[in-house]
Amino acid sequence: MDVLSTMTTVFRRVFDDESIKLADATTAQDIPGWDSLTHINLIIEIEDEFGLKFTVDDIAGLKNVGEMVAMVERKLAAKRQDA
Amino acid sequence: MSEISLKDFPCVATISRILREEAPYLAGVIDKQFGEFGSEWLSEFEADLATFFSGDMEKLRLATQGYIKFALDGMLLQKRFDKTGRYEPKTYDQAAAEVYQNEQYMHTLYLPGIYLSHFLWRHHFIQHLYFLDQFVPKVKAHGGTTYYDVGVGTGFYLREMLRRIPGLRGHGFDLSPSSLSYTDRMVTAFGLRDRCTLNLQNILTDPPSPPASFLTNVEVLEHLEDPLAFLKGLNKLLAPGGLGMITAAVTAPNADHIYLYSSVDELVAQAREAGFIVIDSREDKAYEPRRPNESVPRNAIVIVSK
Repeated sequence: MDVLSTMTTVFRRVFDDESIKLADATTAQDIPGWDSLTHINLIIEIEDEFGLKFTVDDIAGLKNVGEMVAMVERKLAAKRQDA
Repeated sequence: MSEISLKDFPCVATISRILREEAPYLAGVIDKQFGEFGSEWLSEFEADLATFFSGDMEKLRLATQGYIKFALDGMLLQKRFDKTGRYEPKTYDQAAAEVYQNEQYMHTLYLPGIYLSHFLWRHHFIQHLYFLDQFVPKVKAHGGTTYYDVGVGTGFYLREMLRRIPGLRGHGFDLSPSSLSYTDRMVTAFGLRDRCTLNLQNILTDPPSPPASFLTNVEVLEHLEDPLAFLKGLNKLLAPGGLGMITAAVTAPNADHIYLYSSVDELVAQAREAGFIVIDSREDKAYEPRRPNESVPRNAIVIVSK
């Protein structure tokens, strides 16, 4: 699964903006309207999209999209291992 | 980037920088609070931080990181609460083991998170303003000298009462050794340690005496399985004619929130049933909901007498 492209779909849905293009270095300062409430909506939508559940420790250190992608990939790998 | 100049506010500037670097989606809170509450908010926040952290920017950095986790934890739970309409089922003993007796959690996340939220969360800052504008003048006019703070938490309100009312002697109670040590640090930093005692004590099973002229009980009730029984216990601690300020979190899930308040009216009704005379009450939102049926953390406050 291409995590970045799936995440792009989620971002476009949450921000209602089809023009969003994500890169590893993208941060909340690059996308207008990415505040705390939108951030948590993103987190919940990403959870649902990938069938994962995040803890606060999973999400607290995320500074950019690249770190979000890496975290999701780690969680997916752990889920596959548990299955 | 922040729109306000923080050049003369090094502690707030440090928080702003850490938020921008580590949790940019939270960084807008500084501008937002300044926009609503103005330069008075900024000056008070800076003075508070400068006194409490006494120039130790490393401690301030750690506290800000704790705040980031505290805020995220609350927001995640708020979203899950929207789906279920209830707090995650938990007994008081479970919450105590997870939170109050967990020294690392208390000192790295919970207590710094609550302390900074007094300035960074809209409804918490309004609660502080209400305390200053409505409760403190009544206490001053009353003239009593004894005060109980039940559930000291970070020591913020114990410290505020002692600071604002010279001549008052305070007694703080809590079941968490971590809360008491944080409070010790708080009242010491503000030069108030010799005007209060700090007690690891259950006020229901081991009530202090005699009843005090004043009491505060800030965001404790939602942590309990039976807040009404607790309010009845609090009522016994207040002298006739005394004054109390009691607050509760409303539709605000947290790791240790057990009892779900749906409005300030519920708190008013419980306070009356417990034997208090309710003098005033109010309820404030953390922010405006963006979607229909989206829950928002709120805060209920009552000023009571007996």
